[in-house]
Amino acid sequence: MASHKRRLSGVALEKFEAELDALRLEVLNDIGERDAKHIRKMRSIVQASAISGRGLLMFGVGPISWVAGIIGLSLAKILENMEVGHNVMHGQYDFMNDPSLNSQTYEWDIVCDGEHWRHSHNVEHHNHTNILGLDHDFGYGMLRLTESQKWTPSTLLQPLWYFLLAINFQWGVAVHDIKIGRFVKGRMKYSEFRERVTPFLKKSGLQLFKDYVLFPALAFWQWPRVLLGNLIANLIRNVWTNAIIFCGHFTEDVQTYTRKEVENETRGQWYLRQIQGSSNLEGSRWFHLMTGHLSHQIEHHLFPDLPAPRYADIAPRVQDICQRYGVHYNTGGFWKQYAGVLVRIVKHAWPTKLRAQPVTT
Amino acid sequence: MSAQTKPKQRLSRVRRFLRHPLWAPLNQREAWDRLATAVNPLWSLMEARARVVKLIDEAPGVKSLWLKPNARFKGFRPGQHVLLELEINGARQARCFSFSSAPRADGLIRLTIKQKTNGPVSHAAQGLKPGQIVRLSQAQGEFAPRSASQKLLLLSAGSGVTPMLSILQNVANETSDQDVVMVHCGHNENDIIFADELRKLAAQYPQIKLFLHATENAGRLKEEKITALVPDWNERETLLCGPDGFMQTVESMYAKAGRSEFLQSESFGHRAAPIDPNATEHVIRRENTAQAFVVLSGQSLLEGAEAAGLQPKFGCRRGICRSCQCKKLSGTVTNLLTGQISGPGEELIQLCISTPQSAIELAL
Repeated sequence: MASHKRRLSGVALEKFEAELDALRLEVLNDIGERDAKHIRKMRSIVQASAISGRGLLMFGVGPISWVAGIIGLSLAKILENMEVGHNVMHGQYDFMNDPSLNSQTYEWDIVCDGEHWRHSHNVEHHNHTNILGLDHDFGYGMLRLTESQKWTPSTLLQPLWYFLLAINFQWGVAVHDIKIGRFVKGRMKYSEFRERVTPFLKKSGLQLFKDYVLFPALAFWQWPRVLLGNLIANLIRNVWTNAIIFCGHFTEDVQTYTRKEVENETRGQWYLRQIQGSSNLEGSRWFHLMTGHLSHQIEHHLFPDLPAPRYADIAPRVQDICQRYGVHYNTGGFWKQYAGVLVRIVKHAWPTKLRAQPVTT
Repeated sequence: MSAQTKPKQRLSRVRRFLRHPLWAPLNQREAWDRLATAVNPLWSLMEARARVVKLIDEAPGVKSLWLKPNARFKGFRPGQHVLLELEINGARQARCFSFSSAPRADGLIRLTIKQKTNGPVSHAAQGLKPGQIVRLSQAQGEFAPRSASQKLLLLSAGSGVTPMLSILQNVANETSDQDVVMVHCGHNENDIIFADELRKLAAQYPQIKLFLHATENAGRLKEEKITALVPDWNERETLLCGPDGFMQTVESMYAKAGRSEFLQSESFGHRAAPIDPNATEHVIRRENTAQAFVVLSGQSLLEGAEAAGLQPKFGCRRGICRSCQCKKLSGTVTNLLTGQISGPGEELIQLCISTPQSAIELAL
């Protein structure tokens, strides 16, 4: 059941904006030691599980240590990418003045170059969330997820494209900001293209060398189990992060926007778009940590620079605000939401027609 | 020809090879550092850190911090200062403090810290406990006598005594016969920091002459008083440290006598510009350049910089992406989103949502 796109105006919009601003300020004033402790603890867990995972893969004997090694390394990569890397690069921990946790210099354990990510994610996606044509994260330029996007016969194959994207997700993220499509269509000069490709080649080269040359080589005759183990750990991380990220914006009830709709958008309307363009996942504390608190996608999109564990604290209050203003707060368990994503991918593989969208005001 | 430089170059080439990102994460020093720190919080491959040994009350609101630095700390010369970095509610903050003792054989260092209103580091330093670990920079500053044979005059007021004590102790330790006169002012006899220590040094070493001046009884230390106490002041190399007003008095006295080149002054860091909410525009200076531009009150620093023809990096222009994040060295800004007013010192700010309240210096 598709929910309606809610619009607010006048006094209601101003009040809505003020309430969310006040909530943000309240958390901002409370940020401190607790958040610093959290991120340092997460980084320690990442380091410990990376060392033990890689250690087991390289020097372990037998299949049990191999599987344990894969689990350790996958955990390290998932936590590092999601709870540490993604959140640090949003500037959530810049308040600490710790140069190793600074948003502008942090580099993460993934083939995507940090500088590319800061641009395509922090600037484009978070600013233009779910605006068709501006938010390049919407469908990643390869998936049709709403009637408003153009259908071609090759769209019929999009479940297959999705499967390929899911298992290679880090590569999808890595090439995202190069904007290859624009180059292929002749809308980008070669010089600019080369400038965009270089950091990608550099970063992905280093990552490939690390996972598929350096660590296997250090294990001597055990190199096959390291190589295969690293490949599987990367695969697990890819599938998991893809599932979580798709649940954040492409579930059934998520709304999309046109450029025209967001002309002269106020901060309150921006908040409204962030809420209606995102969806949450429900789960335990560890589930939230493993998603980098992207399970609180709505809160994250409202306040991307608040330390992530705070999202869990403020979620009930955001939900309460939404309820009072009649804004749909999209949340559910992982399987329910992910099923919604898969339905959306399959449904729009067919030439679905654009119907007039019901709008409530 | 370059026989001497070659091994050095080779070494740096080896080092560059080892530090190449190709070997990451095996050569990530931060990662090894965290492991070392987990074993012993004082251990570090890259950071100078120190263990708090003891805290001594010197005067009301003034405490001395005795620290035992780790091997990364490369020592100091008397008269130098150091950045003491503490973690205050999760955020690292650093301020400059002078060493108040000469270098010692046991490696202990002493920093003497006066509690300041609106001084988060000086405030937190008072609450340190023995055994805690703090971060240090390397010693900084060129404040020191230029020669050991020249007659010396040390002029200080208030907490400006700290570098002087370090210099004086060094003169005593090295048992040189350098002729030193020290004039120090404090509010009254009781709250002069290190009065006993200074007197003891003066009594023990005849080449050290000491005058303690209490402003409560004798008024502010003026030019006439200095010339009366130290008739040969204009033959002496002079070191000066104290509050702004005091330093200005002495500086103009030396300028008048054409002796400015024999006067070295020490004041800590940038004196942040005062907040001026009524000003319609503020001057923004850029670090390490003579360039400055003007930003209107209420205008964001980003817009102001662009209007001045600069091209700082930016992204969303609404305070969410941090692309325009920049280090403010001094001055006060208001956050346009939250209305919060920043501190006067060094911190990271977002140019697109910060508007100046005072003159600002940016690392732009």
